[in-house]
Amino acid sequence: MKTIKKLSWKNILVILVGLFVLVYPFAGANSYMKHLFILFFVWAVVAASWNLLNGYAGINSLGNIGFMAIGGYASGILAKSLGISPWISIPIGGIITCLLVTLFLGFPALRLSGIYIALLSLIFADSLPSILTQTRDITGGAMGLHEIPGFIPNMEKIHAYYICFVFFLIAMYVIYRTIHSNTGLAFMALRDSENFATTLGVNRFRERLKVFAISSFLTGLAGGFYVHSLGDISPTTLGIEPFLLGIAMFELGGIGTFTGPILGAAVIVFGNEFLRLAGTLRLSLLGLLICLIILFFPGGIMQLVSQIETFISKQLKKRQSVGKANPT
Amino acid sequence: MDSFLNAIVSGLISGSLYAATALGLTIIYGVSRVFNFGHGIVAVMGAYLAWMILSGGGQLNMLLGILVSLVVLYVFGTLVYRFTISPLMKKPAWDISTVLFLLGGGILLENVLLQVFGPRVKSIPVLLEGNLRLGPVSIQFNDLFLIIIVLAGIVLLNVFFKYTRMGQAMQSTAQSIPGAKVVGVDIERIFGITFGLAFAVTGFSGVLLSTKYFLNPHIGWEWMVKGFVIVSFGGLGSTNGAIFAGLILGIVEAMVTLYIGAMWVWPIWFVIFMVVLLIRPQGILGGRA
Repeated sequence: MKTIKKLSWKNILVILVGLFVLVYPFAGANSYMKHLFILFFVWAVVAASWNLLNGYAGINSLGNIGFMAIGGYASGILAKSLGISPWISIPIGGIITCLLVTLFLGFPALRLSGIYIALLSLIFADSLPSILTQTRDITGGAMGLHEIPGFIPNMEKIHAYYICFVFFLIAMYVIYRTIHSNTGLAFMALRDSENFATTLGVNRFRERLKVFAISSFLTGLAGGFYVHSLGDISPTTLGIEPFLLGIAMFELGGIGTFTGPILGAAVIVFGNEFLRLAGTLRLSLLGLLICLIILFFPGGIMQLVSQIETFISKQLKKRQSVGKANPT
Repeated sequence: MDSFLNAIVSGLISGSLYAATALGLTIIYGVSRVFNFGHGIVAVMGAYLAWMILSGGGQLNMLLGILVSLVVLYVFGTLVYRFTISPLMKKPAWDISTVLFLLGGGILLENVLLQVFGPRVKSIPVLLEGNLRLGPVSIQFNDLFLIIIVLAGIVLLNVFFKYTRMGQAMQSTAQSIPGAKVVGVDIERIFGITFGLAFAVTGFSGVLLSTKYFLNPHIGWEWMVKGFVIVSFGGLGSTNGAIFAGLILGIVEAMVTLYIGAMWVWPIWFVIFMVVLLIRPQGILGGRA
């Protein structure tokens, strides 16, 4: 109870923002803003599950955009070519992603540490585009898949908006519960001190597979929701820009925090639209942003928030003590 | 059979170039345990510097271009270490933060180069004209020359690491940082020099690669990922391992291109990479696992 009271202003803010997002489509959101919000919902899930791997479990994965593409392609192909309903094809896409990732990254990662996982996952995601162009009959090659069916027949932006919003909420709930469960504790223990954690009886293999499975399943689902709301996907999804955007999101928000990636996704998704003014300089600006955050603000926005919080509480205490020292 | 032999030769040529690219990565990792994810752009910068001197000066020759790019990149490397990597390495979780920093910085530089030089493909003229015929196999003099340069460079580096004080100091740092400190090695200085040296070597390999292939701001990414596979195949931190791995993978690549198709090169590199990591994570010659 105490913690809830302590953080009450944050809870109020979250509820207000949530209400705003809930009624926004009826309060004058144009199609463009709805589109941005859909992107935000999907990207927030991608960034949060990436953060689950990198921030909480300390596994330096760089391939999460690949997970998203696998989920998106799997679901898109199933729905478009085989005519399966998106409501079934998205979970199947998530399961396919989960299986492929645990097989190709999770199992090798059991024996590897640090930099090797980063290399393996980067090359995993990097070899996907050439596979896609090789299997043109199924995946559409370099052109990608187009006119992927929506969630419901004659879907409009507003439907996709609410469907993705619900998905976002559920995924965040799952991530929150994971972090605050024994499994989440085990991830963090392994991250902070692997030897100590294994001595205490944490099963390193099982926990690592679990975190890969959860992260890739959620990212695969996000990929599915992405393609069915936007209607197309192509190998450019695996390009350098989405990759940078994803990293910028959890780094900017604050790596290893629950709220961080969501805030980061919000700033990056909406900020990236302003950056379109910068034209071809956009990627350099994103690269610069990542460099500056890591050099000067490793905790991201969440660090800033907690610094402001401590500053305010210090000021309040000072005032109180001053008030007590000088009565009347 | 003829095409097979030719494929072997071209595999050896590209393999030795790949080995040259991988050297810079493995030197930095071996000494400082920082993995340079901005490796590709360093190679591209070296090549662009040489290209600028070549095309701008007219009378100025190739040698000067290479020399300038070596010196500039050496200075750049020490500066990058001194002002960014060194402070980052003093913080917790430095391994992932340096990776992401170098990645972001690499993309920043890549796009700056794109702004400055444009997306058009540049090429550096070959160093030597003409070709050599040995029965069914024909080799260009330039390719032969490239192999010789790479081999000479590797011998020089080995001599440097084994017989000079600075090289020995680097090796002792690679083996144990506390141990090196005990015998009076200035770790900060060694790391700085290592970065400078590795950047210079990488830039040089970029010049060599762009005489053989072509040059644009994005090509560094491909060189870098190939370098990643090679260094892990050969063993992170092992220079000789990188050379063997480069040659083996060069031949594999040529064979795949000949018999299966060029599009399968990447997936097959990935499979090789995974198999190596699963069976022998320390690489063929045993670096650090």
